[in-house]
Amino acid sequence: MQDPLTDEKIAQMAAERLPASTPLGRIHRDTSDFFKVEYGDVAVLGRRAFLVGHNAKEGRFGVDDEVKHWVKRCIDLHDGSRKIVKLVFHEKFKASIANLSFDCFRSPKKEARILDLVADHGHFMHGYWVRDDAGNVVRIIDYIYGKTLHAMINELSLDHEIYYHERLPQILQKYIQCVEAIAFLHRHHEKHGDIRRDHILIDRETGHYRWIDFDFNYMHRENMFAYDLFGLGNIFMFIIGKGDVLLGDLKQGRPEVLDRLTQNDLNIVFHNRVANLKKVYPYICEPLNRISLHFSRGAEIFYQDTRQLLADLNEACHAFGQGDP
Amino acid sequence: MIQAFDRLIHHLLVAVDESENSRRAVSYVAKLLEGMPSFKVMLLHIINEPEEDFFADDGERERWMAEKQETAERVLDEAMTVLVGEGFEPERVFPLIKVRYCPSIAECILHEAEASQSETIVVGRKGVSHKEEFLFGSVSNRIVHEAKDCTVWVVE
Repeated sequence: MQDPLTDEKIAQMAAERLPASTPLGRIHRDTSDFFKVEYGDVAVLGRRAFLVGHNAKEGRFGVDDEVKHWVKRCIDLHDGSRKIVKLVFHEKFKASIANLSFDCFRSPKKEARILDLVADHGHFMHGYWVRDDAGNVVRIIDYIYGKTLHAMINELSLDHEIYYHERLPQILQKYIQCVEAIAFLHRHHEKHGDIRRDHILIDRETGHYRWIDFDFNYMHRENMFAYDLFGLGNIFMFIIGKGDVLLGDLKQGRPEVLDRLTQNDLNIVFHNRVANLKKVYPYICEPLNRISLHFSRGAEIFYQDTRQLLADLNEACHAFGQGDP
Repeated sequence: MIQAFDRLIHHLLVAVDESENSRRAVSYVAKLLEGMPSFKVMLLHIINEPEEDFFADDGERERWMAEKQETAERVLDEAMTVLVGEGFEPERVFPLIKVRYCPSIAECILHEAEASQSETIVVGRKGVSHKEEFLFGSVSNRIVHEAKDCTVWVVE
């Protein structure tokens, strides 16, 4: 069957979207060399043409944004919709957390599988995947308008106690939906792989918290979901604490709190963060704080799966709603 | 192929890999049992196969598999030598390499123990740190918690 997307047709479609001063670049049907896919080019993927804009960037909590050359902001030339097009980047590296290293890799096929799996799930990014002419598994993601959870919480200018009583109940409910979404993945034997608070986007249209970026993968050891649980715990403590509660900040602003803290009160992995948040904010209810303590150095029992975490979250939320101490 | 086990014989499964704790587990079994004829030992080495796009291409996959296979054979040979050296008849020791994707190594070991009707599972314990267990899990802990209808020996 003849490809109806001739170069002439593509040029015509692109001309309608490009500024008059910008000539059409190259047309790519093989995206293997993603560095060559540049601004003003067109990528032809699955019988659709995408006008390539800038590379996507990803911030790292205050560090300068990192350009992701394999992730392109695009416009679908057939309907004008904004898309994120993720090209194949075979990257393998050793990640290191608290002096523990493990093998990581980018996994386009994993992300493609999950896109299929979550097509009808409201708490994930949506999209589809196609193979380009070279067989690369390219993912075409619907653009989500909205802030990250990280940005939303950091931008709140509220006293913690007011935040705790007025905003946290709703945020916690949304967080539980996020944990349920990860539980859904785990039930289907998939891990998210890169659970961070800037990988939750708050959809401006629906208000849903939505997980993004599932292409990160790693060689797990015994518990393939433990690293996801670690990420969920960090986000939980970030939400409860209205940001990371750092020893350095306490030393500056509330040095008297340091006298109450012991090594066991700190985050099990990041020893500069407080996990026993009740010692910093005494009005935090016990059931919520107990969850946090599962991620502390003093923890004797760890969550083995999302089911256990969810059970505690639901119980804690109920107690929180009742105003229990 | 695993031979059907004789019901009058006690069957041990020793999970081995290239770690020092695994060597200790084999050595412990060898010295404790001293080749007692009422025991048969399966030496199980699991190669945890990565997901398909861990590798950039088939060539890389083949090289990885060949390297793991070679390591597994060497580990099993060494373990066999230790057991035979302490008096086990070679025909009572069954080396087995399983290549499979394991969401949990412990579950894979338990599955093989059940399939081979092993009455005892022997594993070494690495002695992982608190945070390491938190981030990655512990094979020996999970086996201890989830093993059914069998004995578990954890060798430190």
